Amino acid sequence: MITLEMDGVEADYCLACRGIWLDSGELEQLLQDTERARRLLESFQPAQGLQEEPRPCPICRKKMEKVSVGPQSCLVTLDRCPKGHGLWFDRGELEIVLQLGRFDPEEKIPAFLGKMFTSPQTKDNSDNP
Amino acid sequence: MTGTMWMWVLLAILVFLIVIVISIYNSLVRLRNQVDNAWSQIDVQLKRRHDLIPNLVETAKGYMKHERETFEKITEARSRAMGAKTVAEAAKAENALTGALSQFLLVVENYPELKANQNFLALQETLTSTENKIAYARQAYNDQVLFYNNKIQMFPSNLIAGMFGFTKRDFFEIEQPAQREAPKVSF
Amino acid sequence: MWEQIQINKRNSILLLTGMALFLMALGYVLGSAIGGPKAGWLGIIIATAVWFILTIISFTSGDQILLASSRAVPVDANVHPQLFNVVEEMSIAAGLPKIPKIYIINDQAPNAFATGRSPQTASVAATAGLLARLNRDELQGVMAHEISHIVHRDILYVTLAGVMLGSIVLLSQTFLRGAYYSSLSNRRYSSGGRQSSGGQALFFVLAVVLSILAPLFAQLFYFALSRRREYLADAGAVRLTRYPEGLASALEKISSTGISMESANAVTAPMYIVNPFRGKNAARLLSTHPPVEERIRILRRMSQGISYRDYEESYRQVTNRSGIIPPSALKDEPAAPRTPSVPPAPPPNPFQVNRQIGDLMRKVNGFTFLPCSCGITMKIPPNFPAPKAQCPRCGQIHTLRSQ
Repeated sequence: MITLEMDGVEADYCLACRGIWLDSGELEQLLQDTERARRLLESFQPAQGLQEEPRPCPICRKKMEKVSVGPQSCLVTLDRCPKGHGLWFDRGELEIVLQLGRFDPEEKIPAFLGKMFTSPQTKDNSDNP
Repeated sequence: MTGTMWMWVLLAILVFLIVIVISIYNSLVRLRNQVDNAWSQIDVQLKRRHDLIPNLVETAKGYMKHERETFEKITEARSRAMGAKTVAEAAKAENALTGALSQFLLVVENYPELKANQNFLALQETLTSTENKIAYARQAYNDQVLFYNNKIQMFPSNLIAGMFGFTKRDFFEIEQPAQREAPKVSF
Repeated sequence: MWEQIQINKRNSILLLTGMALFLMALGYVLGSAIGGPKAGWLGIIIATAVWFILTIISFTSGDQILLASSRAVPVDANVHPQLFNVVEEMSIAAGLPKIPKIYIINDQAPNAFATGRSPQTASVAATAGLLARLNRDELQGVMAHEISHIVHRDILYVTLAGVMLGSIVLLSQTFLRGAYYSSLSNRRYSSGGRQSSGGQALFFVLAVVLSILAPLFAQLFYFALSRRREYLADAGAVRLTRYPEGLASALEKISSTGISMESANAVTAPMYIVNPFRGKNAARLLSTHPPVEERIRILRRMSQGISYRDYEESYRQVTNRSGIIPPSALKDEPAAPRTPSVPPAPPPNPFQVNRQIGDLMRKVNGFTFLPCSCGITMKIPPNFPAPKAQCPRCGQIHTLRSQ
């Protein structure tokens, strides 16, 4: 897992699976609006009847709990550390969650996040990094 | 009998005098070396500043199109400072360079894009630090010079200094009047 | 300041002598308690050996022990160029023979300390939280304070005292535990009620009482001497930086952060520039540091000059006491304060501070920072398995520096 930073926004990123890890507080930082981030975080419900394997928290290695967010039609399941270290988003999940938070798509941060993790086309530039 | 006695007394006085002359001479040499050492401390920092300037100018030029005059002043002051032969000359030229650079740093405040450039910020930090090191090394040097100059002017060390050609050294003077002014002491 | 240097040297000798006497007494009492009067002499011999080893350890590696127990990591200039610059500037200003070794502590709380045996072997340590919060002038003030501790030889005394105090605490804890278990077994297996048991019981009680009191006394002895040192280091810092406000506002920032240091403990606490504990724990160590508000008020009153005499005058006005500065230092030359070197800026917000702490610790831990031309910066851990990393945004592939 590596850390990405752009214009003062930071996220941990898994190069192999394209998942994103946000430390506690980083979602607030991404949205630069703690009140809205708080409302979003409070809307998380414990997920029920799921067969997914639990992931370990990258910080404390404890099994993370599954939480779901959003309306019944497009429920997104995230992994949350029970000790509050942060949130794990599988590939593409962060974009959906940000949309669910009903953030203006014109707004800088969600738009930026979309740009930050668009699937890349390979371009080898290893000779002059 | 009394003649040889007098001779011994004279010899003792002579030996005593020679010992005194040697010890004064040695202390003068030590002080002169300390002055040289303190000067080399300043010299290291001055050279570092000279090396830093082309890089700084190159980085800033792209952002500051309308400040050609400022850059010219810096480059000119730099080449004059590098050509200085004596301490007094160096002090004068380096003061001019310090002035040009501090004016440049003031102007930089008007260019937010330049101030966001990481490379420039690193150079600016190095420059600020080098300026500080010059100032602190200068204090140490001037203290040493004061010590040394006092010694070669005071009796009896002035006699030995004159005999062996110890000459007065120049202070590394600063021009800013605010710093020279004696501070008011409140009671 | 030679008085202060003399005092510190004298205190170091007193400390070593006191420690020797104390250990011998403890050895005698403990020996008597366990094995009768003859074993008391054996106790003294063992105690002397312990003292000898302790003294050697604290002289040769006391600073390393204190740094390691504070989880301080040695760093090079690339990790934080400004810290290195500021320490070098202050070393030149103070005329130190050598630039101290520089350490960073992975801790959110802002704080700093200096340690070492002499100016030639000194080290300074700053927390990540300090470096993320202070501006250049403030950092300079804090480092000047630490360098003043080095110049005044406070570091030798504090390092010795730290190791000695730490070992007293350790010894008495070990003994108390041992005494507890041996008293259980004695009662059960040894033939009690013999003629010497009356005297032994008395010694035993004495030993237990001593073991409880010893760490307390050691702590008191340690603390009683550290307050004045902080004032003097503040005065020294102002003379070096010629800018009282830098240190004043640094102290304000450090003390107003309500986080306790996780990497400090009761033994290392008196070394820090500001008491590292907050809230409940703070009261316990109240006497190690003079009140920060008072230190700030003294510094802010020094608007006309930055000499020791100005500090003394300001100290007198704020505290109504006098005589903090030793007489020889009062004859120093007057000098005017300088102007701030950084333009006033709003303090960094908590997010920025956390980000900076994170970046700093990544650098300390050997992460590679790869800026990609698309604007993203990739921060790659030292144990990253692949030799190349692809930018997730633009797809560019970067080669990691191969070692």
